[in-house]
Amino acid sequence: MTDDRVVGASEDSGPLHWSASTPVPAPLRLYRATVQPDWVDYNRHMSEWCYLLAFGDNADAFFRYIGIDERYRAAGHSLYTVETHLHHRREASEGDSLSMTLRVLDHDDKRVHIFHEMFLGDSDLLLASAEQLLVHVDTRAGRSASMPPNLAGHLEAIREAHAALAVPEVIGRPMRITRAYGRPG
Amino acid sequence: MGERPVAFSTYRTMVRKEWLDYNGHMHDASYGVALSEANEELFATLGLSADYRASTGASFYTVECHIRYLAECSLGQRLSATTIMVAADAKRVRLYTELLHEDGRPAATGDSLYLHVDTTLGTTTAMPSDRQVRVQGMLSAHAGLQRPAHLGLGVGAARPGSTDT
Repeated sequence: MTDDRVVGASEDSGPLHWSASTPVPAPLRLYRATVQPDWVDYNRHMSEWCYLLAFGDNADAFFRYIGIDERYRAAGHSLYTVETHLHHRREASEGDSLSMTLRVLDHDDKRVHIFHEMFLGDSDLLLASAEQLLVHVDTRAGRSASMPPNLAGHLEAIREAHAALAVPEVIGRPMRITRAYGRPG
Repeated sequence: MGERPVAFSTYRTMVRKEWLDYNGHMHDASYGVALSEANEELFATLGLSADYRASTGASFYTVECHIRYLAECSLGQRLSATTIMVAADAKRVRLYTELLHEDGRPAATGDSLYLHVDTTLGTTTAMPSDRQVRVQGMLSAHAGLQRPAHLGLGVGAARPGSTDT
């Protein structure tokens, strides 16, 4: 049964697909969502895990854009998340509209480094960001595998288009304590 | 007393059906759920959980969370967690959590920074002094625990060149 698995709010909406004749948007805007009643906590604020859910759906829209869909996965390869670094900036409430951006920072033979931002509706109010490292995996062998040339080509075209964007200050930044943690008193 | 320091490790769970994605593997977000449930148990032992929230209107908000996904999890597998309090002051707590398979293999690690917030004012605020004492007690108790080498490194920094798992 699949009725109570983790499902994104816009899984049915028509995804965008890669087109060599269309310029790559910088950043990509592939996914929007509305904060669902079951996404909020006792405060009616969006629960922490739902940010991961929304960023996951944004990544999924990106996968479809570059050609990683059910058919690609059924053939034995996929992109797995290796690391996610979330920054929470502002709260979102039930019914809020969320718009997501995504940019490709870098990629190599097997890995992709991406950055998501989540904004409130069409405003420039940043709610959260997520930096992610993904690895291309041979799902049957259970190990990382080189990407096919067409996929690597799409990623390179996207990386080039996104290279013009300013690099966000949180990229690659370790979690840190901005001043020494003293003891009380 | 010469007691050996031990990490906080009460959390036990089993991979639930609603945690799975379309591949039958645990969804990225579900690792976050398990890590935060484990940390919630730690906050509860310090008297900083739901009752505290209800009586004071203050709560811990996550400002940053860095998850490393290390192993797949599937339906029914048993997981446990160990948490080290890495740093804390009057308003902040930083926790490092390992989510573990039954055989001890780590499934994920989480490095989380929490801010103590007055939810009615929407501003950070210091914990009451009795809670600060409890927090500092745990921080001292955990001071002798070994910190993993990757703690506090940025995304990608801990795995140069190799992503084979």
